[in-house]
Amino acid sequence: MTAVWRPAAGLAVLAAALAGLGFTLGASQLLTLNEAAGLALFAVATNLLVGYGGLVSFGQAVFYGIGAYSVALGWEHLHWSYWEGLAAAPLLGGAAALVVGLIALRARFLYFALLTLAFSQLAYEIAENQYHLTGGANGVFGAMLPVSLAQPRTGYFFVLAVTAGCLAIVWKVTASPFGLTLRSIRENRHRAEALGVNVFGHELIAFVVSGVFCSVAGALFVVYSQSAYPELLDWTQSGYAVFMAVIGGMFTFLGPALGALVYTLGQQYLVAHTTQWQLILGAALVLIALFRPDGLAGVSGLAARRLPRPRLARSTLAAGGEDGEPDGGPAKRPPGVAGEARR
Amino acid sequence: MSTFIIDAVGALSTAGTLFIVSAGLTLVFGAMRLINIAHGSFYMYGAFLVTTIGAAGAGLRFWLAVASGCVAVGLIGTAVEVSVMRRIYNGEHLTQLIATFGLFLIFADLALKLWGSSSRTVTAPAAVDGRLTLGGATFPEYDLVIVGFAAAAGLGLWALLQRSAFGWRIRAAVEDPEALQASGINLRLLRTAVFALGAGLAGLAGAVVTPQVAVAPGMDSAIIVSAFIVAIIGGLGSVAGAALGALIIGTAETIGTVVAPSWASAFIYLAMIIVLVLRPAGLLGIPEQAR
Repeated sequence: MTAVWRPAAGLAVLAAALAGLGFTLGASQLLTLNEAAGLALFAVATNLLVGYGGLVSFGQAVFYGIGAYSVALGWEHLHWSYWEGLAAAPLLGGAAALVVGLIALRARFLYFALLTLAFSQLAYEIAENQYHLTGGANGVFGAMLPVSLAQPRTGYFFVLAVTAGCLAIVWKVTASPFGLTLRSIRENRHRAEALGVNVFGHELIAFVVSGVFCSVAGALFVVYSQSAYPELLDWTQSGYAVFMAVIGGMFTFLGPALGALVYTLGQQYLVAHTTQWQLILGAALVLIALFRPDGLAGVSGLAARRLPRPRLARSTLAAGGEDGEPDGGPAKRPPGVAGEARR
Repeated sequence: MSTFIIDAVGALSTAGTLFIVSAGLTLVFGAMRLINIAHGSFYMYGAFLVTTIGAAGAGLRFWLAVASGCVAVGLIGTAVEVSVMRRIYNGEHLTQLIATFGLFLIFADLALKLWGSSSRTVTAPAAVDGRLTLGGATFPEYDLVIVGFAAAAGLGLWALLQRSAFGWRIRAAVEDPEALQASGINLRLLRTAVFALGAGLAGLAGAVVTPQVAVAPGMDSAIIVSAFIVAIIGGLGSVAGAALGALIIGTAETIGTVVAPSWASAFIYLAMIIVLVLRPAGLLGIPEQAR
């Protein structure tokens, strides 16, 4: 089990360092880090599908936006406190993910990517057109936070704590027999199917889990923005999450979080120094795609050296072995599955 | 009856634009197995180029602007193909999506710099700007112009793909690229030509539609989603499927506008969901194989 807990310990050290920053940095820098932490959860949750499941979803912003809107609309229409909104977010996001997943997962590869993208646009248009409910293109703004969260420092600690807790849960999911089976489906769908794995069921569960945590990330977004607006649901927002996963390394657990940090800091820097930040972001994407054609995982080598990277395949194989085979017998752990296989 | 005719013409006109854009998208997919997110950018550039070239003029100048917009976008497409696309044909889907998403962002930013963020309008030439009365129904003449362009594009593509050497070379390029090259065909050039044609179609659609829409940033992102929906409803790679998909979406959107205006766009997605639940690979598509 040490193989599983070592990265968890690394995560704790990282969290402690980030918490230390919370006492030293100024308000505006804290807000930046806050955003990075929220986006990190969004990116890692998205990567549960993209990296672990091989399901390229351009629709995770649906759930991210639902998370933010749960808080904002609950506050505006139902006079919810932030906590009620935060509690509702994963439920609503998970329910939406179940519906979207049931439809989108019928399709494969590009059809799946384009279907999820279409759902993102649908959510965007609903949010924009239902003016009486959502405030239309302007979205919902206001003092929807309790006083305790409204300060940058407490807000930062709160976001950090929730993000760390959620990442720990997602980590457990990826390291479980379920996570291993998910990767086996990514590597060889037909083989997994032949071994008796319920491929659709596993993918659907992964989709719902991802949707739940994307929603929590969306609810965290409200902590540092105090708003919700249609662009949160847009497919380009989904695209950014995929981008963060790719730039940070989609075959590592924390790679997407690193990607989110790079993205947030890069955006801050570029917006301050140039009006062309989208241009530079786009150019970066094209260059990555051109020069890292090996599934873009080459960048993850960088993340591996900098972060306490879990040895995905081996550690989980070990964990699965020690935990026994709770619910599936041998079919749950098909042979020849390795996260490293694509590098 | 008259409202039915008005709505039917409106639906056909919407379908016409969608078909021209989606035909380009699906053509490129059919020949190169590439999905281009930046396809919507080509559409937007076609529209913006018309506002620039044909700004002061009507009549002949408008048609010249449409033609040159289409050709210019075809040239932009050629440049994009040579510099980026030909390097990612053999990549994974994710690589392709990331690269073309990057191009989409680049084009959107450049458009903002070149044409600003305000929306522009274009007036159609006087000859087709009027209203036509048919069976008691009055509708814009320009709707018929768009339908005409779509029909011409459809016929042209059919002739090109089914009745010319270019067409069978494209099919061969998918089936067996190596054998095609061995028989002395320049595969690179062929692919560049197909991509430029696809881009030109998007540019044409953007140019033709200008009198009916507000030309503004954001057109690219809206049309690409519609084009994806049309292409996947019809089946990726099938031009006939794109025509079918465009008709379905045009009809769904028109029904939506009539029945529940604030939910009109939801009808499109509803149509898409129904079709894909019944046929996950689209109406005329073949299920994609793992690579």
